[in-house]
Amino acid sequence: MIELAMVFVGGMLGSAHCVGMCGGFALSIGTSSPGWSANLLRQGFYTCGRVATYTLGGMLTGYAGWRLNRAFPAAIPTQALLAVVAGTLLIVQGLLATGLLGRLPRAGGTVPCLLPPLLRSYLTSRRPRDLFLAGVFTGFLPCGLVYAFLALASASGTMWQGGLRMALFGLGTAPLMVLTGWGGSLLRMSLRRHAFRIAGACIALTGALSIARGVQAFISTQDAICPFCR
Amino acid sequence: MSSARPPDDACAYCGLPLAQPWWWSKPHSPGDEPQYCCSGCLWAAQVAHDRQAATGCSSMLGRLGLAIFLTLNVLVFSMALWTPDVYEIDLAAGSALDRPLADVFRYLSLLLTLPVVWMLGLPLAECTWQQLRRGRATTDLLLLSGVAAATAYSAVSVFRGQGHVYFEVACVVLVAVTLGRWLESTGKAEANRELDALEKLIPTTVVVVRAGGDQVLPAASVVSGDVLRVIAGERLPVDGRILSGMAAIDEQLVTGESQGVVKQAGDSVFGGTTNLDGQLVVRAAGPVQAGTLGRMLSAVRQARLAKGYYEQLADRVAAIFLPLVMVVALATFAWQSHGEGLEQGILGAMAVVLVACPCALGLATPLATWCALTTASQHQVLFRHGVALEHLARAHSVFFDKTGTLTTGEPKVIEFACSDPSQSADILQIAARLAASSGHPLCRAIDDFAAVPDVERCTDFCQVRTLPGLGVRGVERDGRTVTLGNLRLMESDGLVCPTALESARTRLIARGMTLCAIGWDGQIRGLFGFSEQIRAEAPSAIEKLTSLGLKLAVLTGDHQPRAAALADQLRLPVHGALLPDEKVAVVQQSRRQRRGVVMVGDGLNDAPALAAADVGVALGCGADLSRESADVCLLSNDLGRVAWAIVLARRTVRVVRQNLFWALVYNTLGIGLAVSGWLNPIWASAAMVASSLLVIGNSLRLKQIPGRAPDERGQNGSSKSELFVCEPPGAPVATASEDASQPELAEVVPR
Repeated sequence: MIELAMVFVGGMLGSAHCVGMCGGFALSIGTSSPGWSANLLRQGFYTCGRVATYTLGGMLTGYAGWRLNRAFPAAIPTQALLAVVAGTLLIVQGLLATGLLGRLPRAGGTVPCLLPPLLRSYLTSRRPRDLFLAGVFTGFLPCGLVYAFLALASASGTMWQGGLRMALFGLGTAPLMVLTGWGGSLLRMSLRRHAFRIAGACIALTGALSIARGVQAFISTQDAICPFCR
Repeated sequence: MSSARPPDDACAYCGLPLAQPWWWSKPHSPGDEPQYCCSGCLWAAQVAHDRQAATGCSSMLGRLGLAIFLTLNVLVFSMALWTPDVYEIDLAAGSALDRPLADVFRYLSLLLTLPVVWMLGLPLAECTWQQLRRGRATTDLLLLSGVAAATAYSAVSVFRGQGHVYFEVACVVLVAVTLGRWLESTGKAEANRELDALEKLIPTTVVVVRAGGDQVLPAASVVSGDVLRVIAGERLPVDGRILSGMAAIDEQLVTGESQGVVKQAGDSVFGGTTNLDGQLVVRAAGPVQAGTLGRMLSAVRQARLAKGYYEQLADRVAAIFLPLVMVVALATFAWQSHGEGLEQGILGAMAVVLVACPCALGLATPLATWCALTTASQHQVLFRHGVALEHLARAHSVFFDKTGTLTTGEPKVIEFACSDPSQSADILQIAARLAASSGHPLCRAIDDFAAVPDVERCTDFCQVRTLPGLGVRGVERDGRTVTLGNLRLMESDGLVCPTALESARTRLIARGMTLCAIGWDGQIRGLFGFSEQIRAEAPSAIEKLTSLGLKLAVLTGDHQPRAAALADQLRLPVHGALLPDEKVAVVQQSRRQRRGVVMVGDGLNDAPALAAADVGVALGCGADLSRESADVCLLSNDLGRVAWAIVLARRTVRVVRQNLFWALVYNTLGIGLAVSGWLNPIWASAAMVASSLLVIGNSLRLKQIPGRAPDERGQNGSSKSELFVCEPPGAPVATASEDASQPELAEVVPR
């Protein structure tokens, strides 16, 4: 239970990072809205799309983790290993958010990609369907934080648990993103810097929890299987 | 939108040549609806059309987005169903999912799949039907039957309440095919982007001067004889001749010359060049398409349609490919449905069709060739056809013509001798002042050599007469007559060569130089020896070509002693004393030994040799693209481009080979796996997209070949310590005979 809460809080605080990356999308939806209520509705559609992608992604990775777990013999604690990997990723992301690890270099590719033109077309549209789709495709944008939580979802054991974790993460990111799209720069720069630090710490803590869980699971598996430990 | 539309047998979106129809079909006429090479291009064209028609999201993109979202949902429901299916957990025990819940999921999957099939399957079916009507069968047909079979089978399972469902396969295949094809088309269009950018340089409207005043008209309506007004900063839409006005013109696009060229009334101008600073009134020589840029664009487009060896190979394979795939797919279906049930048969056949999709094979060659041709046209290298790329890549020997190719063709003063060394500067100054009154190349060379500052250049010759074929004669204010010209003129003017100059004269003649003398008061006072100048970039270009492992040689009409001197200077073998048809014989003989002979010339007097070689490279084509004997036209005079073009050609052929190798290996392995039933259609569709992307990405690398830094060229004539070549005694000076406007000193050397 504590883990689920941490995921939600991690999403909420981690969205300070989202605002920097994806806040522009929310803003661009907001600026073309005629009034605040219409804007709120549009932000809602957009956020629903994003949460939907995260949830589906969480279910897919959760299922993949479950399959991995089944595919390998019981002696290999897949679940525990996944939890440790996810924890490490989360800690790295958390430290990146606090600025302790510096900035990651941006990777650039030359192969044509369809995602930007798709996203652009949906964002400029006013139909609810297209705003929802804009949210769906925002969820596909490469993001270290999302990947780290997806790894956590894969370690969750089942596809339902994976979906639940990612849905909570997505809902956690919602308030700040909606606020950003709604009110523009509600968060001042200095405040955001503080939020970044707290978020980073929170994400790193989630990672540490995950690692601890993995290690614990690892020990208990070995206990159950190792003939000497019985 | 475009003045030079892609030819009719090419795709209306990407411009790739269309596959030939299998069987008889109605020939395409220009008025027909546009033809596309694949469903991706149809899709991309519709998206682009929607975007232009209305702002916001196009309906096609909306469909695609929704389909992707629904597919994700179907995927998740399928996974939920697999949870009990795959590991056959006893459903009755209710350990994973209850039976009713599983049924709900199956119905939900069906409900979500139908819109996907409708949204993505229908356009694909439409495109396939269009292609069929034109007599072209594609693998899309097989693919669609697979999707339809999977959907129908799964639907029946849902209603019967037993059996597996494969909705996710149908959805993922449709999404992957649509996305993959669209991605391919954007990749192909990417290869076109530079060409389109060039095309956009032609202005869309022009100002036509009419009796009633100026009129703004579409550029496409310009015909020969129209009078156009072109203001500063505008590009000239067509070729033409200036009627009035004067301006510096940026001709870099056409000639590679980065400095503006000043042009005035009577000069001809080229379509696509920019009027930098003046107002011009120009009489159009023809419509936009006939202009220099228009012809350049259509030449590149035409070049891409010529099929080379590799493309023909791919075509031959593709021709037997489709029937073969059909047979293999049917066999797989029969074999697997016999052994493992109907659904395995459908899945196996679908995997075969997906993995055998010949996209990568079809794209392998044309896309790489195209990227290379477009890159080349950006760097002032114009290939007449893509086949020239293949030939150039095979090159083992390069022959150079001398005059105008290795040399600039401009004479230069190599030696100046005078009767009295103490008066050397005075004699030189008098010669320069008299030479300044004529524009003849030899006079310009004397002027350059003397380098008299402008302030001292007050002409004190009150009377100057040009004697065609002989020289110039001027009378100074003090009444003294000074003669500058060849020795024949000296003789006729009664000027004798003093003994002090006798040895210099003999030496200069022995070295085969062109001679020019200056004299007054019955005596020759100074002698100038001229020679052609080797291009500044020639040594580095030769060095680069040698480092590429090419055998180099020079073919020249020069006499053997001169040829030997040239060989010494360039450190290259020189075949001297060759008549034009003997040059052809040398090229042909080398070709007989081994194909891959390149001849580099100016495309004028060496046209037969260029045509005889495997690849003829013409230098300095500039605006003159009509040098038909050349397979490759270098728009600039930059010799370094020869090596650049060869490097480009080699890289292109390497990329083509890699592409073909990958496409063949991928298809063979993939079909093998699919036939044996080891390949799920979902992975097959992913592999299909991945292999196309690999081929596209590999080909687009060719767009990143850098040109050389611009400061490496254009240094001609700036230093006096360059290498020199000698002209044989008695030969007419090339520049003088070519320059029709200044024929006065046509023959300068004494017999």
